Amino acid sequence: MENSKALSAGACPADPIISHSSFVSCPFFNFRTYDRNVEFPIVKDSVAAAAKHAIKQYGSGDEVIYALNDISVDFASGQFTAIMGPSGSGKSTLMHCIAGLDQLTSGSVLIDGLDLSTLTDKELTLMRRERVGFIFQAFNLVPTLSAEENILLPLLLGNKTGDSEWIKKVIDTVGLSNRLTHRPSELSGGQQQRVAVARALATQPRIIFADEPTGNVDSTTGTEILTFMRRAVDELGQTIVMVTHDPLSAAFADRIIFLADGKIVDEMLEPSAAKVLDRMKSLGN
Amino acid sequence: MFHVALKGVLARKARLFLTSIAVVLGTAFLSGTYIFSDTLTTTFDQLFADIYKNTDGYVRSSKVIDAGFGQEERQFIPISTIDLVRNIPGVSGAAGNIQAFARIIGKDGKPVGESGIGPPTFGSSISDYKGELWVISRGVLPAKPDELAIDDVTAKKEKFNIGDTVKVVAAGGSRAFKLVGIARYGDVRAPGGATFALFDIKTASEFLTKSGYVDAVLLQGDGTLSDDALADKITASLPNDLNIETLTGAQITQETQNDVGEGLSFFSTLLSVFSFIALGVGCFVIYNVFSITAAQRQRENALFRAIGASKRQITQAMLIEAIAVGIVGSITGLFAGVLLAQGLSALLRVTGIELPPGKLVFTQQTISTVLIVGMVVTVISAILPALRAGKVPPLAAMRSTALDTAGSIGRRVGVALAFATAGLGVLLAVIQGADNVLLGIAILLVFIAVLIAGPAVARPISLFIGRPAARLRGITGTMARQNAARNPKRTSRTAAPVLIGVALVMAVTVLASTIRAEITDIFGKQFTGDFAINADDRFFGGFSPSLADDINALPEVQRASGLGVSLANVELGGENESKFVTVIDPKTIDGIFDIGLINKSPQVLTKNGIFVSEKTALNNSLVEGSTVIVSLSDGSKYDLIVQGIYVRDQLAGGFTVSRELFVGTAVSRFDAAIFVLKKDGAKDSSIRESLESIIKKYGTGKLLSKSEYIERQASQVNQLLGLIYGLLFLSVIIAIVGIIITLLLSVHERQREIGLMRAVGMTKSQVRTTVRYESVITSLLGAVTGILLGLGLGWVVIFSLRDQGIKRFTVPTSGTLVILILSFIVGVIAAAYPARKATQVDLLDALAMT
Repeated sequence: MENSKALSAGACPADPIISHSSFVSCPFFNFRTYDRNVEFPIVKDSVAAAAKHAIKQYGSGDEVIYALNDISVDFASGQFTAIMGPSGSGKSTLMHCIAGLDQLTSGSVLIDGLDLSTLTDKELTLMRRERVGFIFQAFNLVPTLSAEENILLPLLLGNKTGDSEWIKKVIDTVGLSNRLTHRPSELSGGQQQRVAVARALATQPRIIFADEPTGNVDSTTGTEILTFMRRAVDELGQTIVMVTHDPLSAAFADRIIFLADGKIVDEMLEPSAAKVLDRMKSLGN
Repeated sequence: MFHVALKGVLARKARLFLTSIAVVLGTAFLSGTYIFSDTLTTTFDQLFADIYKNTDGYVRSSKVIDAGFGQEERQFIPISTIDLVRNIPGVSGAAGNIQAFARIIGKDGKPVGESGIGPPTFGSSISDYKGELWVISRGVLPAKPDELAIDDVTAKKEKFNIGDTVKVVAAGGSRAFKLVGIARYGDVRAPGGATFALFDIKTASEFLTKSGYVDAVLLQGDGTLSDDALADKITASLPNDLNIETLTGAQITQETQNDVGEGLSFFSTLLSVFSFIALGVGCFVIYNVFSITAAQRQRENALFRAIGASKRQITQAMLIEAIAVGIVGSITGLFAGVLLAQGLSALLRVTGIELPPGKLVFTQQTISTVLIVGMVVTVISAILPALRAGKVPPLAAMRSTALDTAGSIGRRVGVALAFATAGLGVLLAVIQGADNVLLGIAILLVFIAVLIAGPAVARPISLFIGRPAARLRGITGTMARQNAARNPKRTSRTAAPVLIGVALVMAVTVLASTIRAEITDIFGKQFTGDFAINADDRFFGGFSPSLADDINALPEVQRASGLGVSLANVELGGENESKFVTVIDPKTIDGIFDIGLINKSPQVLTKNGIFVSEKTALNNSLVEGSTVIVSLSDGSKYDLIVQGIYVRDQLAGGFTVSRELFVGTAVSRFDAAIFVLKKDGAKDSSIRESLESIIKKYGTGKLLSKSEYIERQASQVNQLLGLIYGLLFLSVIIAIVGIIITLLLSVHERQREIGLMRAVGMTKSQVRTTVRYESVITSLLGAVTGILLGLGLGWVVIFSLRDQGIKRFTVPTSGTLVILILSFIVGVIAAAYPARKATQVDLLDALAMT
């Protein structure tokens, strides 16, 4: 906690984010073609993201419902973590809060050691663009852009070219080289998800969040996509956090966290599908 | 199904509201126009009823030349008629009436009131007659030749008090009077912002018009005879050679009301034409909104179909919604029109035209017309989308996105080409000599062709227009470009109102710049002097002929020549027609103003001669030596010999006579302008000084150099242009609203997409940029096509005027540029609210939607 505060304060002594973008707001004469990226501090930390005493509550007084009830968790660099739990257990909320898409009621979330609650909406956006990758269950792609543009979207939004060798490698890995000019509507569901995976990897983010990435595809394609994600961790050194309710998918992870009623109720390392199923049964699911 | 439809309407109040806005705007303009016109008419009717309230009879000359458009030149009657009328049994009182130009000079030495623009300045008579319209509120009636009264408003504004000396300029020159009275006009301090200088009848006659004459005689009966009988008796009692006619009080009231009504009806027709254009533009917006919402509701409608609703029921539900929108929109529009009418009155007040106080007139007819038109327009605009909604297959319930495809592009282009070919064919026929009326059909056909082709070409054109945005703005520009192109039908429907507005603006601009160039050319060729003195007063004659004589006496001046226009009846081929006749001074005009006389000097024109234009000569087989019978407005008739034929008839018209002709007649004659040729070597500054001092003495007129004069003539077009732009602005507002509504619906439809992009790192300002450029591209799409169409339209209009002497075609480059820049700004403005809405899309909600 202290560490993160010091870092964020040290990173922006004169609030560089604001000063960088101070003339973006003029609608008529904004000739700059992009929002300059903020240089977030690079921390050689073994923890890519963490939640500390994370509480998310809805309502107030007697009616209060805890979506997250005092969760503290670290996601280690270069690790593939799966979050499991029954519907309403808070797994999606946890992911949204850690990814900077939603705010906690109390507690803190750190990405690369930077406390997200200290960031403005704009800084959060740039943080997501620079340091976070996303793979959603469905509707992952912008329909008007080609596959290539979709993959490069976070880079294009920052007007960056990115590491071209890395990008080529990513595209080759997901096997999309001959599909780059196609629009999402011309791609199969599996291909669309592979584009989404490639997009999540394109910026070499600190951490990738995947929300039921195989929920909308058949099992063969699903296995294919999970294999890519596994390789991204093993071969490319990426960090992935995946929300899923499917034991087979979860088995691809290095570590599984089980959530129920907004609390972490269990954890499993080096899982297999069978072990996961057993554990879920014992958790009464 | 009715219940379901109604529930649907009420459940989506926002959509109902958006759709209604287009209806509201269209009907508000219509309602505002009607209310304003009715109010004006009623106000003026009331005013004239008040004016002639105490008048039982009105005696005037029966000799008149009618120029149409409510303009006429009526003869004066001798001042002695007043006494003749007063002595007729049955008449209890009578007074002369004179109303003419007079301008009061303020204490600062400047004339009161604007010359040329603004309310008129009058000189009038006042007497102790019981039916007198003016009431002295302070002081006494002016009774001597050096006394006057002025209206209360002018007295207050110029701080004149009883006993002050007031200088007044009128036809009789410039003169100082002693202020003896302040007068009010019935309940009003002064009518319509006009200024009034009031004199006793003798002074008024001598100073304001023609000594010994008055405009008319007002009279009151003693009650023994009915007004009709009294009028007959007066006419019979007065000598025949006076050539008078007697109207009853009711008749003169009616006639004045009709005259003013005619002028007002032209004005209200103009207003309602533009309201209907605005309404037509509104139709596109309504049609567009219904189409989009129908597309967005495709799944819902498909679900209805799947669970057993018939096509007809779906269509009916849509139409019920349209009717609801029509009712809500029209009623709101009706009342919004009241505000608009008040705004128009306020606008007039700001420009100095104070209307007599009166309540806004809200007639039954306004209510029914606006409601019916609003309803009909809404329902008609909704028919196509409703039919299309009915055709949705039940299976579409399983599909996710709003489909709004352009249909068969080939067929669309084919139909458009057919229309365009037909239009061009008609155009060709007209060029070959067919009737000009067909041009309207040609224009309509081409417009239809463009509107049909719209969805087919919107995509490529949007992509083309959006290229710089993509280049300049990177990914946000690219996305804006793709968004504008992704729904070609929607984009073209949104751009259509812009297209129509811009096409009309462009055509008017082309016409105006052509006419300007033409005028500059004509005056440049004909006016060869150095200075011109322009009479600015639209309401009355102009300069007394003595002004030109005074200027001719100046040492620096080589020659000065006055030019005037008079109404006369000209007998041609046995028919008597009233014509405007140009009046020149043949002795001085040579070398100053050239009418293009063939092989002649204008000096040959004598008192009993006439020049005719080449066109007139050809049409009436006139040659030099032919006789033309001309009667002036006093009834005097002349056999004039054709003494020359001229070619430059754009200004001089068909007939030109010498000012000598009017000497000794009862017709008062004015010069509209005086052209001056300086002596060789005379200094401009000294000649200006001398001219200005003479003008000051006469109190009216503006001294202009040659180039200033030509520019002033040409810029008269600008006033009309300004008015038309103002009226077309209504359509532009509706077009903007159309873009706003479409963008709002598009943003709503793309929530998931926006949420996704925000998640992967699009900042709010980038979201705004995307929406803004989509809007700009749409607006420019309409503008670019509108400009092309407008150029064509302008050319067609000018072509139809080829017989009026307009032979050139000027493309207004700066005007075109301004339209493009304005369209860009329109796009930015229209995007402001939708862009804000887009940034407010809730990330998690958007991502949770599947």
